[in-house]
Amino acid sequence: MRLLVVEDDHTIRDFLTRALTEAGFLVDACAQGTQAERLALEGVHDVMVIDLTLPDMDGLDLIHRLRAQGVSAPVLILSARRSVDERVLGLDRGGDDYLTKPFAVAEVLARIRALLRRSTPNQPEATRLRVADLELDLIRREAHRGGTELQLTQQEFALLEYLCRNAGRVVTRSMVLDHVWKMRFDTSTNIVDVHIHRLRNKVDRDSDKPLIRTMRGVGYVLKD
Amino acid sequence: MFSRISSSFYRTAAWRLALRSTIVFAGSSALVFFMMYSLVARAVRERSDSWLIGESETLRQVALTTPKDALYARIVGEVAELATQEFAFDSHDDDASNTVFFYENGEGPEPPLWVGPSGKEAIITSLRRLSLSGRSAVSMTVPGWRMPFRVVAADVGPGMGRIYLGLQDHAARIMLARLLLWFFLGWISMVVFGFLIAVLGMRRTLKRVDAITSAAACIGTGDLSSRVASADKPNDEIARLAHTFNTMLDRISASVNQLQTVTDAVAHDMKSPITSVRGSLEAALSTDDPNLSRELVAGVVESLDRLSEIVTASLDVAEAEAGALRLRREPSDLADLIHRVTELYAPAFNERRQTLNTLAAKPVQAMVDQRFIVRLLSNLLENELRYAGDGAQIMVILTESEGKAHIRIRDNGPGFPPELLAHVFQRFAKGAKSEGHGLGLAFVRAVALAHGGRAWVRNLDAPGGTEIVIEIPTFAANPATSPAQTPTPDRSAGPLLPEPSTDVIVTSS
Repeated sequence: MRLLVVEDDHTIRDFLTRALTEAGFLVDACAQGTQAERLALEGVHDVMVIDLTLPDMDGLDLIHRLRAQGVSAPVLILSARRSVDERVLGLDRGGDDYLTKPFAVAEVLARIRALLRRSTPNQPEATRLRVADLELDLIRREAHRGGTELQLTQQEFALLEYLCRNAGRVVTRSMVLDHVWKMRFDTSTNIVDVHIHRLRNKVDRDSDKPLIRTMRGVGYVLKD
Repeated sequence: MFSRISSSFYRTAAWRLALRSTIVFAGSSALVFFMMYSLVARAVRERSDSWLIGESETLRQVALTTPKDALYARIVGEVAELATQEFAFDSHDDDASNTVFFYENGEGPEPPLWVGPSGKEAIITSLRRLSLSGRSAVSMTVPGWRMPFRVVAADVGPGMGRIYLGLQDHAARIMLARLLLWFFLGWISMVVFGFLIAVLGMRRTLKRVDAITSAAACIGTGDLSSRVASADKPNDEIARLAHTFNTMLDRISASVNQLQTVTDAVAHDMKSPITSVRGSLEAALSTDDPNLSRELVAGVVESLDRLSEIVTASLDVAEAEAGALRLRREPSDLADLIHRVTELYAPAFNERRQTLNTLAAKPVQAMVDQRFIVRLLSNLLENELRYAGDGAQIMVILTESEGKAHIRIRDNGPGFPPELLAHVFQRFAKGAKSEGHGLGLAFVRAVALAHGGRAWVRNLDAPGGTEIVIEIPTFAANPATSPAQTPTPDRSAGPLLPEPSTDVIVTSS
C-alpha cells in the first residue's frame, strides 16, 4: 500500500511519514502542491493525505485538479480549519474524509484504513471476530472468552466489537466516542475510561492474559 | 476681542455658520429697511404734493376772481408770497428753509408774475420745456439747482394763462436723509450684534462637539475611560450625539474588558498545561528509566489534549456567542438524544457513587443540530460529574409545554456559590474550586440561544442543590425553520455585553 502525504509543515510531515511507515505503508511525502500533483498523476497511490494550506496552492484546488485529471485515489483532508462549512466544502470538492488539527496519529491510521476498506469493497463482511481466546458472534451479539459466555450489555458488546475490529491497533477516546456512541466531542473527563474499565472487568477478570490495554495518553488497544 | 481669536478660528464651522446666517440676516433686514424708507419717502412727497395742488387751486381761484386791473399783480403776488412763505418756513430748522416759487404766465400784455428766489430765468426756461397736465405734481430739474422741484400747473381760465407752483422740500429731504442715516446705523448695529451673538452661540454649541472630538481623541490614544461630560445638559442633537457616543464607548470598553478577561483567562489556563508539558519533557529527557520516561510523555499528551480542548472550547463559545454557529437542524427526538448521552455518562456517575436518573419517557420532537445538543448535554453532565460531589443525586428531566421543550438538570449538590450564580453562563466564570476552564456553561447557553431558546439557572431551596434549565422551541413551534438558515438568537447573543443576569432566577442563595 502506497500513500502520498502532502503537508507543508515539516514536523507534521516527518512524524506522519514515520508513523505511516511504521504501520507498514510506503510513503511519498512532499510540501508543495505542484510537486504533489506530479507525484499523484503517476497514479500509484492508494490513499492521499492532503493538508489544505500549502505554500503554492490551496489544498482544495489541488484535490479539484487531481479529480479533474482522473486521479481517483481516496483523499484524507488535514486542516486547521475546523468549521462545519469547511468540512462540507472539503468533502464536496473531492475529499473523502476530513480530520482537523490537532489529531492523534492513531486516528489518522484508522481513517486511512477505513478509506482503503471503502476502496476495496469486495471483502465479505465477517460474521465472527476472533482475537486469541476471545470470540465474538456478530449476528447473535454474543461474546465468549475461553469458552465462557460473557454477560455484556449491548453497548459493551459494541465497544468490544470496535476494539476487536481494530485488534492490535490503538484507538483513541474520541474514536471510541465517534464509532461506538456516534458522538463527536472532546472530553477531558474519564467517561470512556469508565466504560473500558467495566468492559475489562468482564473480559479480562477471569483470565491471566489481559487483552484490553490502556496506552496512557493515547488510548486503548486490544491485543494478544 | 477678535485679536485673541487665532486664525484657526476662521476655519471653524462656528465662524462659517455665523457668517452665512449673518449675510442672510443682513440682506433681508436691509430689504426691510429699504421698503420702510420708500414708504416714508413716498408719504412725505405725497404730503408736499397735496399742499402744492391745494395751494395752486387757491391761487387759481384768486387769479380768476381778481379783476385784471392795476392791482391784480399785486394782490395775486401777495397771496402767492403768503402761500410760499407759509410753506417755506414750515420746517423748524432754519437751514432747511424750503424753496418755493410761483409763476403766472398770463396771455395778456401784462408781464408774467414771479414770486420766488432769484434766478427765475433758468426755472422759467425749464417750465416751458415741461409738458404738464393739470392737477398732478411732477419733478423738474433746473440747471443750477441741486435738488429737483415738484411742480404743479393750473390753468386759470380760458385765455387767462397758467399758474405754476414749484417746491423744493428741503425739510423733507433732510428728514429723509436723517431717517436713512438712522436706519443705516440701526441696520449696521443689528447686523454686527447678530453676528456676534451667532458666533458666540455657535461657538458654545460647537465647543460641545469639540468635547466629543477630544474624548474620541483620548480613545484613539488608548484611554477607554474618557467620556463626554456634557452629555445630558440640554436635550438637543449634540446631547444625543454625546449620549450615543458615551453609550458606544461603554459597550466598546465592556467588550474590550471582556476580551481582556478572556485573553487573560485563556493565557492563564494555558500556562499550567504548557508548564507541565515543558517540565515533563525535560524530566523525560533527563531520566534513564524508560518506564518513567514513557509515563512522563503520556502525561504530556494528556496535557496537550487539555490545551487543545481549551482552544476548541473557546473557539466554539466565541463562534456561538457571535451567532456564527452554522446549525444543521434536523427533526430530532430530544428524549432519544438525552437517553443516548445519559447512557454514555451513567457508568462515570456510578463510579462516583452519584445517581443519574432520567425522566424523559415521551418523545419530544424539535428541529435541532444533534451534534450541538449532544455537546450541550455532555457539558451539563460533565459539570455535574465535577461539581455535584460524591453521592449526589442528579436528575435529567425532559418536559414539553406550549411549544417549548424544557431540559432540567437538577442535583442535590452544594449549589453554585451565590456570587457565581449570576455569571455561570459567562465565559471563564468559574468557582474557586473549579478545575474546568469556565467555558462549558457558556457554550450551553450559546447553543440554546442559537436554537432560539434560553438557559437559566437557580439554586433550589429545599433540599438544596441547583437546577439548570434549557428551553428549546419544539418541532411544532418552528416547523418552517430551514436547516440552512443561520439562526437568529432571540436576544443579543453577540459577543458584546451578554446579559446573563436576565437568564438567572435566584430563588435562594
